[in-house]
Amino acid sequence: MPNRPTYLGTVQDVQGASISVALDKDTVSGLAFIDGHGYRIGQIGSFVRISIGFTDLFGIVSQVGAGAVPEALLKAEPYGYRWMKVQLIGEGQRAGEFKRGISQYPTIGDEAHLVTEQDLTRIYGRADAPNSVRVGSLASSESIPALIDIDRLVTRHSAVVGTTGAGKSTTVANLLASLSDPARYPSARIIILDIHGEYHTALRDRATIFRVNANEAQGERPLCVPYWALSFDELLRVTPFRELKDADRAALVEKVKQLKLASIQAQARNGVTADTMTVDTPIPFSIHRLWYELHRYVCSTHTAQSANQSDATEAIEQDDHGQLILGNIMGVNSPRYRPITQGGPNRVYLSGAPLNIRRQILAMESLLRDTRYDFLFRPGPWCPNAEFENLDAQPAQDLDGLLKSWVGGDKPITILDLSGIPVSILMDLIGVLIRLLFDALFWARHLPEGGRTRPLLFVLEEAHAYLNAGNEGAASIAARRVVKEGRKYGIGAMIVSQRPAEIDPTILSQCGTMFAMRLANASDRSHVTNTVSDNLEGLFNMLPALRTGEAIIVGEAVQLPLRAMIDTPARNRRPDSHDPKIYDPDSVGGWNRPKQVENYMKVVESWRSENPKRGNNPGGQP
Amino acid sequence: MNRTPVVSTDVAEIGYDAATMTLEVAFHKGGVYQYFDVPEIVYHEFMGADSKGKFLNANIKKNYRYVKL
Repeated sequence: MPNRPTYLGTVQDVQGASISVALDKDTVSGLAFIDGHGYRIGQIGSFVRISIGFTDLFGIVSQVGAGAVPEALLKAEPYGYRWMKVQLIGEGQRAGEFKRGISQYPTIGDEAHLVTEQDLTRIYGRADAPNSVRVGSLASSESIPALIDIDRLVTRHSAVVGTTGAGKSTTVANLLASLSDPARYPSARIIILDIHGEYHTALRDRATIFRVNANEAQGERPLCVPYWALSFDELLRVTPFRELKDADRAALVEKVKQLKLASIQAQARNGVTADTMTVDTPIPFSIHRLWYELHRYVCSTHTAQSANQSDATEAIEQDDHGQLILGNIMGVNSPRYRPITQGGPNRVYLSGAPLNIRRQILAMESLLRDTRYDFLFRPGPWCPNAEFENLDAQPAQDLDGLLKSWVGGDKPITILDLSGIPVSILMDLIGVLIRLLFDALFWARHLPEGGRTRPLLFVLEEAHAYLNAGNEGAASIAARRVVKEGRKYGIGAMIVSQRPAEIDPTILSQCGTMFAMRLANASDRSHVTNTVSDNLEGLFNMLPALRTGEAIIVGEAVQLPLRAMIDTPARNRRPDSHDPKIYDPDSVGGWNRPKQVENYMKVVESWRSENPKRGNNPGGQP
Repeated sequence: MNRTPVVSTDVAEIGYDAATMTLEVAFHKGGVYQYFDVPEIVYHEFMGADSKGKFLNANIKKNYRYVKL
């Protein structure tokens, strides 16, 4: 058919959205030339156009050859190499716009055609549309940009999945760079929860970086999460008071409430009164004072029996100068009590406090002294420094400063680098961060600072580590809330993971857009295929064979499922996640470099200070 | 908490929870007491003591904080 070079064959079998096309005898050669471009016929994942009257139907080739023969014809044509199975996806009027979904089905004998670059441009829209950003180009034809609708990408959530080394971080860095383009979206608002500290280099000029052990000379800012902004339950989870009996827990609630009440009496806070305050209301109180007062309540000894005990009967030791050894609050030094005696005139009794939390109080003491937890329990300007002279001391700043620095800063992206946070509380802390920001934007939904006016995108890196199925951790609960309710309040999530099988299916299935990179593991693949709504199993069978940097993008943010080659960012914009080189011909590889003098004292210094940059000699090698 | 009946004139049952280090004692004349931060070894000594009442008075009552349930 030289005069109709796009002609492939005719429709022979229609079964719902899945149709079979018999290839024409003349087209099986494999290669067609149209307008000087070569097109390979029958490529899995390529598009097919079926013209019916004034409408064009579009579909994706999911199977070619013997397996694609309709069942009824199997006997008649055992060598059915000329068959092709196509999944219908959408339709377009001649010269009109492309739409998802089909209004009429093809019938037997309708012609199927190759889709040319011209058609593709029509389907995928033009790059100058203001709500679409380019992430790469179509894998099949490089001249056509792969465009993403950012409206749907942000509010309908998305997931980026792929094996290690398939190009996930690069894809994310690329997407974020496009989304934060100051010329197009000056008010973009993105938060990255970066567990491994990978994104510093890639997004340096667009992002404010918060981390524990911040290098402030390089513009990094210290990460502070004020403990008093946590709800009571969240606070218990990050302290030794995790598993308390009801009676002990109730006593602790009462105590925290008292401290918060004293705090608003010392300094009124807008929006809350003594009557409306609960134990969960984010009001500053001193956790050091809580510890100190609990210690004096439970661990003290007294000169009177339990019924007559009061502050005045406490048996506190004296130092050489006759001063009571009261310890101090912020230094986390407990008072010294006289030991109990079994009789005699000055008999010393145990405290009558009916709480079984002595061991937790002692554990709390070492936790409050642990400098690794300073970002939480001594959060810089948000730390109320309670001392004996000033028990109701207020922190220098309120939460507005914190929120402003996270979601209202000068730069569109905020990276919360969690690499320095103790692993034991990491999951709970991620939950807290998501919940805090969600709550803040949720309650601000009618304000210009809220999520409805200025939506927020959460990027959850390495999500399988804390969003796994069956995990009732704080992170899972918070993320589930974001993916289920976030859309209404302008809060979106982008979930990034190399083990999609380990992510809670409810979370993954709420992701409207899926960027699937190479996935070799069968369970991961079936998990991803199951959560995708389109009838695209054939397309997902390609996952193990994708090239590095290649992604199948399906879902709401794209007109059609597409297979795209993601743009490679410039060298200085790549995430810091590439593998170390074992052998490098330029002799800078790990194992083929000349042996150097090594100083393990610096290794120990970095390790002890838990700061990977500390041991670096500033004048030494970069 | 599960308590084991013991032979004694005062003490009826004794229970112990190692996770919270809580010793629970039920008396014949009524009343259940919990003693806090009791080491497991003390519980074993208590269970092995010839006279439960004597052991309780000498080693437990004054040394550990308690609550009456």
